[in-house]
Amino acid sequence: MAAPAEIVGLPEPPPPPQPVLTYLRFLRRAIVLAFSGTWRFYAWMTVLTAIALVGLNAWGHQLLHGMQVTGMSDHVSWGLYIANFTFAVGLAAGAAMMVIPAYLYKDHDMHDVVIIGELLAIAAIVVCLGFIVADMGRPERMWHVVPGIGRFHWPVSMLTWDVLVLNGYLLLNLHIAGYLMYMRYLGKVPRRRWYLPFVFVSVFWAISIHTVTAFLYQGLGGRPFWNSALLAPRFLATAFISGPAFVIVLLEVVRWRGGLKFSDGPTQLLARIMRITVLLNLFMLGSELFTALYSGGAHGSAVRYLFFGSHGKHALVPYIWTAVGLNIASAILLHLPRSRTHKRWLLAACSCAFLGVYLEKGMGLIIPGFVPSTLHEVVEYTPTITEWKITAGIWALGLLVLTVALNVGLAVWSGRVRDSTRPPERAAA
Amino acid sequence: MRFLLVAFVVLGCQRDRREPVRPPPGAPIGTVEIHQPERLTSIATTEVDALGRPIRVACVTCHSLRKPTRLPSSTAELDEFHQGLKFAHGTMSCGSCHVVGDQRSLRRADGSLVDMRDAIVLCRQCHGPQARDYDHGAHGGMAGHWDLSVGGRTRNHCVDCHDPHVPAFQPSLPVLPPRDLGIARPTGAQ
Amino acid sequence: MKRRVALKVVGATLGAGAVAYAGAPVAEWAAGLSLDDTLRQHYKVLTEDELAQILRRHEDETKKLHGVDVHIEDIPAQDGVSFGYALNLSACIGCRKCAEACHQENNHDRRTNNSYIRVLEMEQGSFDMERGNVDYDHAVPAPGKYYMPVQCHQCDDAPCVKVCPVEATWKEKDGIVVVDYNWCIGCRYCEAACPYHARRFNWQPPEIPAEEINPQQGYLSNRIRPQGVVEKCTFCLHRTRRGLLPACLEACPTGARVFGNLLDPKSEIRWVLEHKRVYVLKEELGTRPRFFYFFDE
Repeated sequence: MAAPAEIVGLPEPPPPPQPVLTYLRFLRRAIVLAFSGTWRFYAWMTVLTAIALVGLNAWGHQLLHGMQVTGMSDHVSWGLYIANFTFAVGLAAGAAMMVIPAYLYKDHDMHDVVIIGELLAIAAIVVCLGFIVADMGRPERMWHVVPGIGRFHWPVSMLTWDVLVLNGYLLLNLHIAGYLMYMRYLGKVPRRRWYLPFVFVSVFWAISIHTVTAFLYQGLGGRPFWNSALLAPRFLATAFISGPAFVIVLLEVVRWRGGLKFSDGPTQLLARIMRITVLLNLFMLGSELFTALYSGGAHGSAVRYLFFGSHGKHALVPYIWTAVGLNIASAILLHLPRSRTHKRWLLAACSCAFLGVYLEKGMGLIIPGFVPSTLHEVVEYTPTITEWKITAGIWALGLLVLTVALNVGLAVWSGRVRDSTRPPERAAA
Repeated sequence: MRFLLVAFVVLGCQRDRREPVRPPPGAPIGTVEIHQPERLTSIATTEVDALGRPIRVACVTCHSLRKPTRLPSSTAELDEFHQGLKFAHGTMSCGSCHVVGDQRSLRRADGSLVDMRDAIVLCRQCHGPQARDYDHGAHGGMAGHWDLSVGGRTRNHCVDCHDPHVPAFQPSLPVLPPRDLGIARPTGAQ
Repeated sequence: MKRRVALKVVGATLGAGAVAYAGAPVAEWAAGLSLDDTLRQHYKVLTEDELAQILRRHEDETKKLHGVDVHIEDIPAQDGVSFGYALNLSACIGCRKCAEACHQENNHDRRTNNSYIRVLEMEQGSFDMERGNVDYDHAVPAPGKYYMPVQCHQCDDAPCVKVCPVEATWKEKDGIVVVDYNWCIGCRYCEAACPYHARRFNWQPPEIPAEEINPQQGYLSNRIRPQGVVEKCTFCLHRTRRGLLPACLEACPTGARVFGNLLDPKSEIRWVLEHKRVYVLKEELGTRPRFFYFFDE
């Protein structure tokens, strides 16, 4: 092919743009995209912002007056915040469920939508970090955790491992999603060495974030409800229920909103995965119940409190039975043949599964760890309005991040938004 | 390598500690004093002073004027003075410890006399295990220093806690229970 | 197009206003933070001069806040001293005077009647704490019961020290596990890890009437703690490192408590450990406590 300059009359090709300027232009377009949409988009974002601001105000209230505004006490010293944190870590880990088939098994249908999973992971980690900050008694001392300028009690404290893996997972996903999106924007083929190793690491890293979070609780000998080898496997099983459930619903939302064409393959694959993990979770639940109730004694007093009440206190009993019911319902719904053909049944199953895992992992895991207390006192815990406001605010923040990320991400991924100053690269054969 | 060096400097840096507080060698050893309960030399009347404290009368105030000739065989016989005195100390009688005509002394099991203020000697005669524990600091309250090379301490006398006539600890109301956050009180106080 | 831009500008302005309004308490909190407190280094790396300045600053703050002159010291651990504590369950009558003395000595919050010591009323013949009761409010000692006070055991293999992410709590040379109240980030992982319910969190700033404040204070022990940090029994190190008995022991009317230096073969605590059948709580957890329980016979 002759060089363009040799053809008479054509102008010189423009000089290649500087990379930094191009990136800044991309960011600017992304920001503009983040604030553009239909009236439905604005309404959604306004509602989310309002909820987030209510949460911010409530958090300020908590900072000023101390954590006495929560329902926590020296007996139940972790509550709604840590419960939601644990669940959100599972959600972030579950997003890896899309990465494994897309890259390890070269599922091309999944490859089209894997960006959604990565953006969900980013939003979920933001939610996790939000709950950690909300639960801290002195958040202005957060710098104490930074290795080098603070005192980082690694490797002995599991919390330091959690700090490393959560922030590392965030950076990994930011890099992978950011790199792939930017390459798509530029019309270039992504260089394998800049994303493929990170993708493989992120699969193992996703498993590690939830394992480390489980080890936080598992390693405490003084809390027999948590001090069980089954906690980490159970965490992973529930992560791979809540993650895919949310992604299936998210995919339907994306399909409804338009902007990206993709087949039903990813949804069916995620549903297939869920069919296994819901049964696994129920099996592990049965195993825990047997261990606690068959041998009896003080070892099972937390389980007795959770499922049947103890010493006249039974605040958690309705929650856990609802959670178990929802988990069983989702298992039944997922295994009905109708869920493969009728989307509504599948979405109902996903909602049941998501809510069931949320209840079970939140109130059903953290609170019973503290009841009875280490001196065998039964002191109950009820979250206050302030706690609910802060919790809602942080979830709203996560949804804000997710909406913005998807808005930008899908626009770029589908090719609607690209750098028009350069021709698209042809992928190597 | 550099990181290790920095880490060593940052983590290994401890400020110079002051010399810990220890007395110089040959410092005087703190003394162990045994508290002298008022009960051994005086008795409380039913009258109270301006600050609400019961007025105490020394034993000799009355017993220098009146000398009883015999000891009662039971507390029911006390109809003139020391009325209402309860007694529940095994199968002993008044004469096991008290001496007729000498209200400043007590008698040991072999009949020899000790001063009222040394009443501990009598307790030790029978209550060997408690005496042994007391000597080793495992029985009876104390206040002061654990480190006798720094200061002294005051020990409770047996009679500070145990009424010699009714030595068993009488039930009394404890300090109020904890009302930390999260515990619902029946009165609803929070 | 212009209407859209105008709407966006209006929306952004309203949004900024809403953020300012909603975030006002956060701004108020941030304004109330002191730079010295936020940037202070860990206790172990403070120099002598810095520590002296900090102690004076805390004394001034206490004077300003509560109107009381206090004396805050930092007493290092002594060589050749390793503390141990024993409790005679035959002698304890459950009067809770130890808990009350701790409450007063350590400048605890008055509203919650907080104390590091919790006394359990147990059934005679059973060690099962599930059958124990902390709320008893009747004459003691009640028949058929015995009383077991529980406080921090200053464990040799303390789970709380293991789990702290910022090393805000550590074990000193004389065996006491201490907390740097200005380094603690308030995550309460140590409170979850402790098997003995020994740790307390400051859910609010402590409220103490000025006349009840104990002016003899230690930097690592009973100075008035801020909200949002964890605290625990320190065996009254501001007293015991000066050779005095801890406040709970002095308050005990029956002498059920025995305290001393485990390294001194002639100490009372050594005699108890050698001549009484002592045991520790939850020994199977491997925490190796320094607080021993024994019965007389």
